Amino acid sequence: MNAKKARLAEIVGPDHVIDDPGIGESFTLDRTVRPAKRPSFKVRPKTVEQVREIVLWANETLTPLVPVSSGAPHLRGDTLPSVPEAVIVDLAGMKRILKIDRRNRLALLEPGVTYSQLQPELQKEGLRVIMPLLPRANKSVIASLLEREPPMSPRYQWNLLEPLRSLEIVWGNGDRFYSGSGTFRGEREEDWQQGLVPVQGPGPGQLDFYKFVSAAQGSMGIVTWASVKCEVHPEFRKLFLVPGERLADLIDFTYRLLRFRFGDELFLVNDACLAYILAQDEDKAVSLRNSLPPWTAVVGITGGQVLPREKVQARQQDIQELAQQSGLTLASALRGCHEGELQALLLNASAEPYWKLRYKGGAQEIFFLSTLDRAAGYVATMQAAAGEQQYPISDIGIYVQPVHQGVGCHCEFILPFDRGSQAESVRTEALFRDASHRLFGQKAFFSRPYGIWADMVYGADERTKMVTQKVKDIFDPNHLLNPGKLCF
Amino acid sequence: MALPKEVYKALKDIVGSENISDDPALLDSYRYSLAHTAIHLGPYYDTFTPRGAAVLLPGSTGEVQAIVRLCNEHKIKFKASSTFWSAQGYPSEDDTIQLDMRRMDRILEIDERNMFAVVEPGVIGATLQAEAMKVGLNTHIAGSGCSCSVLAGATSYFGSGPSNLYGGWHYENLLGAEWVMPTGDLFRIGSLGSGCGWFCGEGPGPSMRGIARGFLGAKGAMGVFTKCAIKLFAWPGPESLPVEGTVPAYRVSLPDNFRAYTVAFPSWKAWADAAYLIWDTGIGYLAHRQFNMFGRELKYAMVKILTDPSKTLGDLEELLEDPEVQRVTEASKRDFQIVLAGMTPRDLAWQERAFDEILARTAGWKVEAMNQPDVADWSLLYLLRLGHKNLNLVFGGSYDGCFGLLGTADYGTTHVEESGQLKKEWEEQGAVVQAGGDCTMGPIGGQGGGGTCLWENFTCFDPYERESVEGTRALFDAATKLGLARGWGVGMEKWNAQCRGPDGRTTPKEERDRIHLSAPQPSVFRYQHKIRRAFNPNDLGDAYYETLDDEAD
Amino acid sequence: MPLEDFAAEMDRCSQCSYCKWIPFDQVRSWRFAKNCPSVSYYNFNSYSARGRYAVARSLIRGQSGYSDTVRDIVFTCMTCGSCDVSCKVCRYNLEPLEMVRELKFRLVEDGQGLEAHRAIIQSLDREQNTMQRPRSGRGDWADGLDVRRLASEKGKVLFHAGCRLSYDEDLQQSARAAVDLFRKAGVDVGIMGEQEMCCGGRIYAMGYREEFARFARANMAAWARAGVETIVTSCADGYHAFKRLYPQLGSGVQVLHTVEFLARLIQEKKIVFRLEVPMTVTYHDPCHLGRQGEPYVPWDGVEKKIKGQIVVYEPERPRYNGAWGVYDPPREILRSIPGVELVEMERIREYSWCCGAGGGVREAYPEYSQWTAGERISEAIATGAEALVTACPWCERNFQDAAGTMGEPMQVYDLVELVQKAV
Ligand SMILES: Cc1cc2nc3c(=O)[nH]c(=O)nc-3n(C[C@H](O)[C@@H](O)[C@H](O)COP(=O)(O)OP(=O)(O)OC[C@H]3O[C@@H](n4cnc5c(N)ncnc54)[C@H](O)[C@@H]3O)c2cc1C
Ligand code: SF4
Ligand code: SF4
Repeated sequence: MNAKKARLAEIVGPDHVIDDPGIGESFTLDRTVRPAKRPSFKVRPKTVEQVREIVLWANETLTPLVPVSSGAPHLRGDTLPSVPEAVIVDLAGMKRILKIDRRNRLALLEPGVTYSQLQPELQKEGLRVIMPLLPRANKSVIASLLEREPPMSPRYQWNLLEPLRSLEIVWGNGDRFYSGSGTFRGEREEDWQQGLVPVQGPGPGQLDFYKFVSAAQGSMGIVTWASVKCEVHPEFRKLFLVPGERLADLIDFTYRLLRFRFGDELFLVNDACLAYILAQDEDKAVSLRNSLPPWTAVVGITGGQVLPREKVQARQQDIQELAQQSGLTLASALRGCHEGELQALLLNASAEPYWKLRYKGGAQEIFFLSTLDRAAGYVATMQAAAGEQQYPISDIGIYVQPVHQGVGCHCEFILPFDRGSQAESVRTEALFRDASHRLFGQKAFFSRPYGIWADMVYGADERTKMVTQKVKDIFDPNHLLNPGKLCF
Repeated sequence: MALPKEVYKALKDIVGSENISDDPALLDSYRYSLAHTAIHLGPYYDTFTPRGAAVLLPGSTGEVQAIVRLCNEHKIKFKASSTFWSAQGYPSEDDTIQLDMRRMDRILEIDERNMFAVVEPGVIGATLQAEAMKVGLNTHIAGSGCSCSVLAGATSYFGSGPSNLYGGWHYENLLGAEWVMPTGDLFRIGSLGSGCGWFCGEGPGPSMRGIARGFLGAKGAMGVFTKCAIKLFAWPGPESLPVEGTVPAYRVSLPDNFRAYTVAFPSWKAWADAAYLIWDTGIGYLAHRQFNMFGRELKYAMVKILTDPSKTLGDLEELLEDPEVQRVTEASKRDFQIVLAGMTPRDLAWQERAFDEILARTAGWKVEAMNQPDVADWSLLYLLRLGHKNLNLVFGGSYDGCFGLLGTADYGTTHVEESGQLKKEWEEQGAVVQAGGDCTMGPIGGQGGGGTCLWENFTCFDPYERESVEGTRALFDAATKLGLARGWGVGMEKWNAQCRGPDGRTTPKEERDRIHLSAPQPSVFRYQHKIRRAFNPNDLGDAYYETLDDEAD
Repeated sequence: MPLEDFAAEMDRCSQCSYCKWIPFDQVRSWRFAKNCPSVSYYNFNSYSARGRYAVARSLIRGQSGYSDTVRDIVFTCMTCGSCDVSCKVCRYNLEPLEMVRELKFRLVEDGQGLEAHRAIIQSLDREQNTMQRPRSGRGDWADGLDVRRLASEKGKVLFHAGCRLSYDEDLQQSARAAVDLFRKAGVDVGIMGEQEMCCGGRIYAMGYREEFARFARANMAAWARAGVETIVTSCADGYHAFKRLYPQLGSGVQVLHTVEFLARLIQEKKIVFRLEVPMTVTYHDPCHLGRQGEPYVPWDGVEKKIKGQIVVYEPERPRYNGAWGVYDPPREILRSIPGVELVEMERIREYSWCCGAGGGVREAYPEYSQWTAGERISEAIATGAEALVTACPWCERNFQDAAGTMGEPMQVYDLVELVQKAV
């Protein structure tokens, strides 16, 4: 053990090797079947060279590594070691914003950079990055994008990985690699000047390397920087709330907006979800839930660069008309929610405690991809399952986020529960399992298969499993990166 | 060489006797001239891709699987193509079986609400677009035009074109896909594999789409794609294009929410500024530097010919003498075309104003002669349907692109003039069409939302004349030399030189290795080698899927 | 022009496959986007214009030899010319239709003609018609018609019935109707009756150039003897032969298709409609009247290059791309008939789909020929029309047969019949 520690200390410096770091607070219910194993060390590299040396060392010593970029709480269990004696590679300290290129709207980030850190810096340059819904304050931008967390603004997603572009990757075999146009990483200022910049995501070549590290839960390679496509920081923005009695009432309207790519932020939430977003404590959450409309479509309009005011005006009028055609109204306030208040929240990371945990201290998520027309069916299934497990239906937070310009949508059920209560934990876990399988049976695509979902999806799709395993063998031949996840 | 009798018979049993042939003359209609089009490696006079061992026309995924399995059993190489407009779709080695996917040509589904279509290989841009328009949708069409297979562009090659900007390039638009892997196994990529439908190409987990399609596709060297889903986008126009005019000067007069402009700028810097402003502002339905493919000096005269059914190329010289033509030509040196499409009248009004503001800020102007109703309507139809791409070849029968600067707007605009200058010097020698040096064309927005461009410098020549072919190659050699000297890298004139050699067959390994080792990141090809070994164990593809083995260093 | 002289074109064909589709700008659906019957049916590349260029190159360079497959490739071409139109949307220096004709000539010259065609030629030599029927019956269709016989009398205007109308009892009533209409409109029209000979157009399309020339010369001589200045025909094949091919052999007579003549007479009010024909119809443009019905322009020139490598011609070469074919007169007639509502199919005018009877295909490849016609019937059905109207007896025959086989109630008419119903 000491030899290991000594070698790690040599690589990252003694201050950056933490003995027996513990498994940390775990929020996933999955843990009962897959108990996390205590890691031996946590190391905090600062450079890609250090990361590479750690990986090479791990290959020599056959030590499992678990890469982590964001801070706690970790909700999905992906960063909990599944095997004993792993070393956590904590990248949170690699926090440099290496470059912001206004003209090409690119930001080059290390994995420890969080949304809260990045957005103000971008704003100084007149830029912003599209965000997922209320990420944790310590959520790594790169980790979020690698996990394919859906951003709130589907219109900028020409593909599902947007706005992620080029990466620097240290593969599980220790090889340092640039994906996309990452070989143009702008180490020389003149490259940036003449436009030789890491603007491409795909490739290079005939493989799509960044796809292999996406939703891989750190099991293929460790990303040490990424370029991220930014949007113009809007001079004007407005947020509208469109209430509906049933989810189905809002679907048609949402499709219309997606068809025209109107609306910047665009998503649907139920009363509970919106209450969890807005409320700071349990009581407030309950009262809000009771006063909010059952469903709300949240529609943001932004205008930046050329004639922003005119754009916002035109969009507002058009969206108003589209809402009318669907028998809906655009509101700037609902009972319990004002547009300004919500907008302020959405433009930032979540305040502490993390919004999904505020109501009951714990929460189990179920999320997957599908198409918008199926969303209402999933809600019914979820509610039926909750009823059977005697889980309070009114507690279920529901978030429907169109992705990839409307081709699909992310459906998310948030199941708050009291982690202190054995009964609630057991009940919620039972619901989680039951609902996951039922939803999968109804074509819910668990594209980011955490925990038990991995067995579910790979069990049903032998070919994808076989292909994924072969790819793993190439990039991480000793299976050292986050073993026990996915299908390896 | 003929296939062993029993193999031929087994193949015939799979597809039926009417869908297989090894007649030499028929096989010769599946050979591509290396003095031809967009081969990106030569050109070479009087050289053809090798004759295949047989051509098969499979009719279903099951048949394709059976063929591929049989090929594995007998270690026979195969190559599938769908629309056959590029050398990369033809065998590079003797005894290869050519699969012509044309019979699998159904549009299986158009999901109107979720905006995607599911297509087989034989579906082309034009037919998919026509069907999509009926439900208010449109498809991206790669720059090669609407004659090309949608699936081929999306799964197996590049798929970039004028509507990248709004429609996304086909790399981005590819959703679920059905792939007969090189072993004959069927891989349903993305949500399809989980039985959840076609809407997503990524996952579950790390996206294995990445082994099938990167920045480029596998170019037919890694199995056969039999179906794929393609993302569509809004078409705020009529259910079908109300085309008017006399052939070939067809034009379309669309409702008032469409505009097709040709605009030009006082400098390349201003041109780039305009591109950045368009992307930042988020306007435009498609944008392309299109008609400059005829050459800076010929483009307006060519437009005059193409918009007048009574004119031919024989009128070109006279037109070039016309002072009006000369004036417009001069005014449109640094130009591009843009189509604005309003989803609503307000949307169009805003886009128009924003575009005018962009022109004002960059001192750009609308080229009025190009914006006259008849010409603008012709240009609009051209750009929307992209059904005139054979005009690439209008002059002498062949064209290929050189340089092909690929990158941000700043990057290309910095070097385009110099690359054009080199070409102009070579044009004077007479081997290629004298068009003004700068015949560069390409999208304003190499991907959805913009951010990159491509500057392909069209070089037109006569494949029938040895001097023209060889002179073109000399120009291309000079282009490569300049590209390397300037750090632009090897241009598109040689993009495929590592796949196919001057004899139309696979480039010798040493040469391939040399090229791959000199790449900025040779490990790309080492990984491709590993992937190829893992998924194509019998090596039943050609060198269009590029690899570098461990021995090579 | 010998096949070898197309070598440059064989190399300059851009392998774009535009020749497999209607001009892309005109595509309105997946179903009716294809244009070339032969590649649509047989699917191999070699069955398209593009492929035939490649096959021809292979043959003239001795890379391959004749085979059943080669014969099929060559003789399944309908010479409908649809490829030619689509190719020339972008190209000004290719003549794919001319090339494929030349290819057929070559095969025939080399003794590679089809048995089915040879039988027709043999009978033609004897009987002077392509229907393999006795010569003596050629004039029977006109029995009882009060019309001048120009074989023995002089006359300026000759109505040429053609082989199909002369012998096809189901159809020939439209020939009678045409003559009748002309006469009633005051036109002094005559016929050759039993002395009429095949125009040669169909055998030309089968590859029998010499035989065609013989017939052309014989016809021209007969016309000269009779003092014919204008020839009118209801057959699109005949029209094409007279209008485009005969002038190459020196003919100077004016050539009109019946529909052109009728349109003129209607416009001049010499034919007036009195009856209503309540019917929704769609119109099929016969290839040889539409895209191939452009007037002949003599040219004797050479290729030259400008601007280094742009291929043009000295003097400028006429361009046949279907722009100026006969499309409007039949439509004008239909629109002028009271009660008739014209609805268009998707593939019309210069990019019309072939009826399947051209190029000797009906005679040699009946199944494929019927499939081709069936495609057109389906397209007509898709318009909601009750009747498919055409202006060529070959089209009419093929459509009637196909509709019959398909069990479709689609009625098939020659345009003349509708005119007659309305007067
Ligand atoms: C004149 C010209 C202009 C071009 N311009 C552009 C352009 O602007 N943008 C662009 O992206 N590309 C362009 N290309 C290149 C590209 O190959 C296009 O031709 C087109 O996108 C593909 O159509 P194709 O007819 O060549 O396809 P195909 O001949 O069908 O094949 C293209 C490639 O895909 C493979 N393939 C096809 N079908 C299958 C299948 N079912 N399974 C597996 N592999 C398959 C083939 O083997 C081949 O390697 C151009 C090519 C030409 C000739
Ligand atoms: S003439 Fe008609 S059948 Fe012959 S190749 Fe052309 S389109 Fe096809
Ligand atoms: S014949 Fe014409 S349309 Fe056909 S492939 Fe050749 S150039 Fe293209």
